[in-house]
Amino acid sequence: MNTDLSNKNNGNNVTRLLDNEPVGMTVQVVRVLGDGAFRQRLLEMGFVRGARVTVVKNAPLQDPVEYMIMGSHISLRHSEASQVEVTDNDAEFCDMEDAYRGVVETEMPAIDPMADNVLRVVLVGNPNCGKTSLFNNATGAREKVGNYGGVTVDSKEGWFVVDGRRVQLVDLPGTYSLTEYSPEEMYVRTYISENHPDAILNIVDAGNLERNLYLTTQLMDMNIPMVVALNMWDELEKSGDKLDIEMMGRLLGARMVPLTAYNGHGVKEVLQATMDAIDESEQETLHHNVNYGTLIEDYLKSLGAMCPNLDRYTVLKIIENDQHAIERLNGQANAEEVKKAAAEIRQHIERDYNDDIVSIITDLKYGFVRGALAEALTPNPDRATNETKPGYSLDKLLTNRWLALPILLVLMWLMFEATFTLGAYPQDWIESGISWLGEWIGKALPAGILRDLIVDGIIGGVGGVLVFLPQILILFFFISLLEDSGYMARAAFIVDRIMHRVGLHGKSFIPYLIGFGCGVPAIMATRTLENRRDRIVTILTVPFMSCSARLPAYLLLVAAFFTANQGLVLMSIYLIGIIVAAITAIILSKTILKHDKTQFVMELPPYRKPTARNATIHMWSKGKQYLQKMATIILAASIIVWALGYFPRHEGQTPQEQIEQSYMGRMGKAIEPVVAPLGFNWQMGVSVLTGAAAKEIVVSTMGVLYTGESDATEESASLKNKLQNAVTPEGEHVFDPIVAYSFMLFILLYFPCIAALVAIKREAGTKWMIFEIFYTTGVAWLVSFIFYQVARVF
Amino acid sequence: MTTSTLIQTIVVLGIVAIALVYVLRRIIKTTRGQGDCGCGCGKNCQHKKKND
Repeated sequence: MNTDLSNKNNGNNVTRLLDNEPVGMTVQVVRVLGDGAFRQRLLEMGFVRGARVTVVKNAPLQDPVEYMIMGSHISLRHSEASQVEVTDNDAEFCDMEDAYRGVVETEMPAIDPMADNVLRVVLVGNPNCGKTSLFNNATGAREKVGNYGGVTVDSKEGWFVVDGRRVQLVDLPGTYSLTEYSPEEMYVRTYISENHPDAILNIVDAGNLERNLYLTTQLMDMNIPMVVALNMWDELEKSGDKLDIEMMGRLLGARMVPLTAYNGHGVKEVLQATMDAIDESEQETLHHNVNYGTLIEDYLKSLGAMCPNLDRYTVLKIIENDQHAIERLNGQANAEEVKKAAAEIRQHIERDYNDDIVSIITDLKYGFVRGALAEALTPNPDRATNETKPGYSLDKLLTNRWLALPILLVLMWLMFEATFTLGAYPQDWIESGISWLGEWIGKALPAGILRDLIVDGIIGGVGGVLVFLPQILILFFFISLLEDSGYMARAAFIVDRIMHRVGLHGKSFIPYLIGFGCGVPAIMATRTLENRRDRIVTILTVPFMSCSARLPAYLLLVAAFFTANQGLVLMSIYLIGIIVAAITAIILSKTILKHDKTQFVMELPPYRKPTARNATIHMWSKGKQYLQKMATIILAASIIVWALGYFPRHEGQTPQEQIEQSYMGRMGKAIEPVVAPLGFNWQMGVSVLTGAAAKEIVVSTMGVLYTGESDATEESASLKNKLQNAVTPEGEHVFDPIVAYSFMLFILLYFPCIAALVAIKREAGTKWMIFEIFYTTGVAWLVSFIFYQVARVF
Repeated sequence: MTTSTLIQTIVVLGIVAIALVYVLRRIIKTTRGQGDCGCGCGKNCQHKKKND
């Protein structure tokens, strides 16, 4: 943290930097120092001249720091906050005026909305403003919503019907602006430019209009029919603030509709307004844009005339020297002329305003928004202060300097312990049901290959995984509650300093968290990381966050071989995964992916009461996915594994000889020398190989290989019992707690499933995918080897 | 081999063949980035594939 350097003597005025302001202090922004994309991101998040910023608290490890600006809570590291020059002297801003100059009207020719036979509407808005909730309500989909940014990182498509007309609705990732600071922002901008939607449905948080409407001012310049949905309208009403929607709509030149997406209020009206906007565009209309003042408007007109095929937004970006916008000139005959003219315009504007172009345009946009809000919004004078807002006391506790990390660990432990204790009862019922089914079919069908396939292959394989459905549902229910409450973003804030120490970014916490469910969306969620190096390190370490597909294997082995402290044993596996991820990140940061300075700016969403409805929907959605997997890939893989273990068959073989001489047995024997030092037999070796298709298949393979080895009495019918009683030809037990833990470590760490590997290839490249296969398997072998050999000694 | 055993064997081998074809097709589709996003959410998958 800067101390003496923070307060520089600048003539008669002492320059103060934000990072040195104490907790509780409220100051105003003078300027943002430096240059580059991060500076632009700070400006766009609201750190513009005159904006009031309050220092809320330091993270438990004293970095990063939580600030409140424009009604939002933003997290910045000290090194980033030192780029913001501030003052508490109001006199510095007495020459500022809210620069609302109204809108300019542009004549737009009529457009044919069915030009490509599809009516298409895109959902655009800040992260965490309710786009996916609206999407789910409008289309009947069950996409995941979460109270943290980065939940939606790819577009999702659905359909809705209004007045008999079918319209495609596209849910785009949340973005604070269209400036392409991160891959997801680039994705949104590119999607809109290339797909030319018929309308934009801009969702804003009605309780946080000043920052949310910044994106609206950019969308206005794209000259696409737009409707602004004021989401979380119920929270605005509760706060006592009054917004004159009609006036606001007139001032912005856009239709505005109140909405409460999570319970569906206002959804019909929003969709109808969108259709009305599309219908209007079929005639020649006047489109409204932000008025930047006479000087800049004249320049926009003159430059726009030189490139008539580009929209106003792109022309403005060319003036701002945005490289992606400038690339769109490629191929144009007068491209060089346009670039030269834009450079001259930029110099003139900067000279006139005595500031850099990015600050000027951002200031003008925020001025426009502030001016409009000054007319249309009447704040409640008795509005809750930060300290009286619901969730404040809870937040103080959960992010307390000494308690935050222990609370995080306790919550994780409670989640795992509940998974075991509560899940044990339904698990027993399912297990009994499957055993009964196996016995009934065994008696109903005559002995033969078909009966063996059904009982040993299908029921043994699929049943072995199906019994874990209750635990999976319970785990996801708790994860959903934590996510929806807003605690997960706080967790990223808490652990950022630790992540930074190991060469990671605090925002990597979100993909890691998603990775506990499934590696594929977790790898995709790394798109929220702006820096490519951070993304690759996170992608390579996400597979160490044990996904839910590996959970059946842990649950089976923990239940079979650890009678006490089951929750603790399971938690230790997850923690080891996290530790290995941290060590890997450190190694990568010091070698092939050297750690460079990365920025951490993240919005902290407000705490929200998680709804049982949402958690249940999410839990059910996960359950459906699990059952779908059972009925497809797990079923098919179980059949194949059974066949490999069944053939070839010869007369007079004992069951032991038959399985060892089967195709599966031969494969297993071939790799046995590699896995024997880890304490594994060939069956375990083959099981981990089959896990390449899907990790649940590890258990279903074990189910197939161990079914039929012992007499099927009622007590020994379960796979758990079979593992407990499995013996070598010499009569020794195959499994004990050491072998079981070594096996769990290997399952935790070795290469992820094919779907995850393909996701790695898509997001990082083939080279990194191959690296991941060898690295993770090597680490798994080494860790299991060390554990097994050392544990044996003791 | 009796008739019943022969029929059972044919049926079982047919089921195994179908399972094998399904798994291979799924692997090929996943490696090509076709079908669903690979997350396992099935044929109603709403995830659009990113146009790289």
